[in-house]
Amino acid sequence: MTQEERQNFFKGMAFLAPWLFGFAVFTAIPICLSCYYSFCDFSLTVPRRAPLWIGMDNYRQLMHDSLFWKSLGNTVYYVAMALPAGMLVSLGLALLLNAKIRGQAIYRAIIFLPSLIPAIASAMVWMWMYNTQYGLLNYLLGKVGLPPVAWLGEKGAMPSLALMSVWGVGNTVIIYLAGLQDVPRELLEAAEIDGAGAMRRLFSVTLPFLTPVIFFNLVMGIIGAFSILTVPYIMTQGGPNNATYFFTFFNYDEAFKFLHMGYASAIAWIQLVITLALTGIAFWSAKKWVHYG
Amino acid sequence: MTAKPKIGRIRNPWNALAIHAGLICICVGYLLPFLWMASTSLKTLEKTGEIPPRFIPHPWQPQNYVKIFTHPTFHAVLFTRNTIVIAILTVAGTTLSSAIVAYGFARIQFRGRGILFGIMLATIMIPFPVTMVPLFTIFRRLGDLTGMAWLGTFKPLWVPAWFGSAFSIFLLRQFFLTIPKDLSEAARIDGCGELGILFRVVLPLARPALAVVALFSFMVVWNDFLAPLVYLQRPEQFTLALGLDNFQSAVGGTPWHLLMAASVLVILPVVALFFLAQRTFIEGITTTGIKG
Amino acid sequence: MVSTVAMKFIKPVIFAMLAVIAGIFLILGSRQNTSDVPPGFTVVEYWEKWVGNEATQMRIIVDDFNRTVGHDKKIYVRYLSMTDIDQKTLISIAAGVPPDITGTWDTQIAQFAAIGAVERLDDLAKARGITKDYYLPVYWDGCSYEGHLYALISTPGVVALLYNKQIFADCAPQLRAAGLDPDQPPRTLDEFDRYAAVFDLKDKDGRLQRAGYLPLQSWYIPQLGLWFGADIFDAENHRMMLDSPAMLNTFEWIKSFSTRIGGQTLLNFQNAMGNTFDSPQNPFLAGKLVMQQQGPWMANYIAHLKPSFSQLLMPTSEEWKLKDRASNYGWGVAPFPSAVPDMENVSYDPFDALMIPAGAKHKNEAFEFLAYVNQQDVAEKICTLHCKNCQLRHVSEEFLTHHPNPYIAIYQQLAASPNAHCVPVCAIWPEIYKELLDSAQAVTLGEEPAVALKLAQQRMAERYDRFITLERRREQLGIN
Repeated sequence: MTQEERQNFFKGMAFLAPWLFGFAVFTAIPICLSCYYSFCDFSLTVPRRAPLWIGMDNYRQLMHDSLFWKSLGNTVYYVAMALPAGMLVSLGLALLLNAKIRGQAIYRAIIFLPSLIPAIASAMVWMWMYNTQYGLLNYLLGKVGLPPVAWLGEKGAMPSLALMSVWGVGNTVIIYLAGLQDVPRELLEAAEIDGAGAMRRLFSVTLPFLTPVIFFNLVMGIIGAFSILTVPYIMTQGGPNNATYFFTFFNYDEAFKFLHMGYASAIAWIQLVITLALTGIAFWSAKKWVHYG
Repeated sequence: MTAKPKIGRIRNPWNALAIHAGLICICVGYLLPFLWMASTSLKTLEKTGEIPPRFIPHPWQPQNYVKIFTHPTFHAVLFTRNTIVIAILTVAGTTLSSAIVAYGFARIQFRGRGILFGIMLATIMIPFPVTMVPLFTIFRRLGDLTGMAWLGTFKPLWVPAWFGSAFSIFLLRQFFLTIPKDLSEAARIDGCGELGILFRVVLPLARPALAVVALFSFMVVWNDFLAPLVYLQRPEQFTLALGLDNFQSAVGGTPWHLLMAASVLVILPVVALFFLAQRTFIEGITTTGIKG
Repeated sequence: MVSTVAMKFIKPVIFAMLAVIAGIFLILGSRQNTSDVPPGFTVVEYWEKWVGNEATQMRIIVDDFNRTVGHDKKIYVRYLSMTDIDQKTLISIAAGVPPDITGTWDTQIAQFAAIGAVERLDDLAKARGITKDYYLPVYWDGCSYEGHLYALISTPGVVALLYNKQIFADCAPQLRAAGLDPDQPPRTLDEFDRYAAVFDLKDKDGRLQRAGYLPLQSWYIPQLGLWFGADIFDAENHRMMLDSPAMLNTFEWIKSFSTRIGGQTLLNFQNAMGNTFDSPQNPFLAGKLVMQQQGPWMANYIAHLKPSFSQLLMPTSEEWKLKDRASNYGWGVAPFPSAVPDMENVSYDPFDALMIPAGAKHKNEAFEFLAYVNQQDVAEKICTLHCKNCQLRHVSEEFLTHHPNPYIAIYQQLAASPNAHCVPVCAIWPEIYKELLDSAQAVTLGEEPAVALKLAQQRMAERYDRFITLERRREQLGIN
């Protein structure tokens, strides 16, 4: 290392110091601890009751815990539904909101509104709209002569949650919208002069330019969908018949209701590995379809 | 941003009309839960479960908005104060610390920078439940080490913000990269150190990006439910989002009209902020260029 | 152009307004923190799960204490009511900043005691003369874990059959046609089923409009086995018995309702009801559920939510004999019939518990309050306010005659019965509870009871064995 390199290194470290410290204390140590706990019997509750090392026992137990598989299946089912739906709807909305027409500020604000409200408040409004008997949705269905739907029943609950998540895509829409501002107007104009229709322009110019943003939203979407907790916590408590018992829910119950912090840590680790694996796949596939202009 | 008005403008008025129609339909759908919320907040409890439901409350009961200020378990004033305190500390911390770290990543060439940046990005992917339990232990240890209580105070909620948030650092770094180097070089010749460049040259130019970071972190704190649920125990420390849960009695039977009135009050400030900052917000995200 | 100028002007104004409002809240909110404690007093912090009326009623007792005993002994109880109390308590214990008293449910006592999260109260209780003889046995058992006392009661409960007399009268012809007496509640479980079937009512689309009884609507699904003579957990031999023949009978019975009505129909009905207990939409009050298992507190809820249902409201004078009062009511109470011949007055007896968390700073002062709440006069006062029976072996005549629930004698008798049961004293009860709820839902949706119970038994036995094994290992290694 030359003198200058060394100097730069220290300078860089000085600027990174807050993050390095925060990373160590609030991320790295917790992750290591969580890994350690996942090999322990540990209930956190009483300070004098120390973690007891039990090796792979938690993981072995998990592998034949039917609720673990059920919650994993539920989570995957939810992600498979909510993620593509959210991606498509938000992209569509962003394209509409990008059109140069009057009143866009108002439209944008309205679409963004749902992501501004606390999940607990929106969960409560929706819970009520979904109510089979007193809910607004079934009332509206009744008006057009359709039979009522058990929105939060065993079959309906999951799609209903996914529908609600589509309503809250404002954040993603805004990011797409920002991405759309970066699509070079010259290219769009050139394409138009060449006689390309709106669809053609969308697929050959806009979307390729948008792929990095799509990729970004995909990764954030995977993480977000896997972490869903507050909404089902309030709306369905995991029911009916565990149909909405998510992975995070399983984790929360084990940690704070049944006091198996060690077991819960093992669950959290599996969630981490799955999330990392999925984002890893996304990154790997990105080489094929993401164009960095 | 819209300096060249001709390009991209919709030429066929029918198309514009179609887009308007589409957007209006969608917006009505998106607004429906809000309208319902607002309408319920003005009803009497008996009328909240009325069949058929009606939008215009009758009788009209605006006193609900007064009642939530005297509710025995929803201490509106206190909860608002708590949320504001936490929000101010968090937003200030996140913005300042993330800017400093982002500058290090964007402007200083040093060995290992790429790896560290990669690690930082990877931390975005760690779900909160993974670190929730150990963080709890850490805050307890921190309490022992520093000789003051951490748990049962606001500290676990805002202190980590002062050590940068990965997402904000990422956004700011992207923005800093777009600021021409000549500017900072000129400042350097004038005798500015790196910190001087950051605060005198880079930050003033980065206002939209800072606004985005501040607004994003404000929204996160304002709406956070899980972290306060885990770290706050005493009702007098509750935040608004957590306090809303107090309306639900353990045995069931929710005063929907009051709950909705409280929810409306909770979302109003955020909506106002967004409406005001909407343009800056989108501009800010655009210039940070998420495409990396 | 005008609009841009206006916007330029408006934005800072709105921002300034937001800032000013924030400032006002900051100042107002901070001012509320002033201390209400007289100087020189020990502050005992008391967290309670109730919100709403019950919380307000408990505050009366706390204020009484602070004015009398607390004033003399220089103890001040600070009372906070909150939701999610069990989790909040645990987290605060873990954090090392627990309250001095926590008001949770009976279901947590064994779980908390097993991991040492709460203090033992044996010595303190003995010193105050609070012994097993002072309590009704069922409640004392529920407060103990492995021979030690860990909790005292704030208010007890007892579950009996609650039925809608008006609908009984309305359906008199159908009941008589089925060979049943409309003026009597069912006395055997077989009779109960026949009553229930008469009351079921579907509309033309096949939706359930009214149900005689719904097992899934019960708050006590995991305890339904008690009326079949089932014992879920053998504490002495550490054995889980979820798939015993009695439990199988219980779940066959649960299934019989969904076979008759249709599982999905039933769940839809249930879902429509939502969580409406404390609201006018409460299915029992709305006449959509004719019979259910409930505790004495229902009288308070009825008086509050549907006064017309209790034609006579609160007793104002003693002239009204209990019997006369009851005959005026639109609803009735009887022991829930048991499936086992000769096993009478079976009851489940849940209660609200007061515990002192491990690491509480003022254990002795906290116990002063626990003991105060269990003085006969105070216990009777809070139980009357909450409209519950009393946990004590001896209650005054006045308690029974002035109680807001005219059927209080039935409840008191059920709680004293040899067939009264508290929550199973098992360290993993919260897990069993969830498991049995899940099994009941699965059975309702078509699962075979034998299969569901076998799975539940296997899962829970495994979990319990694991708990025991790990406890032993902890003992051997001295990591407690």
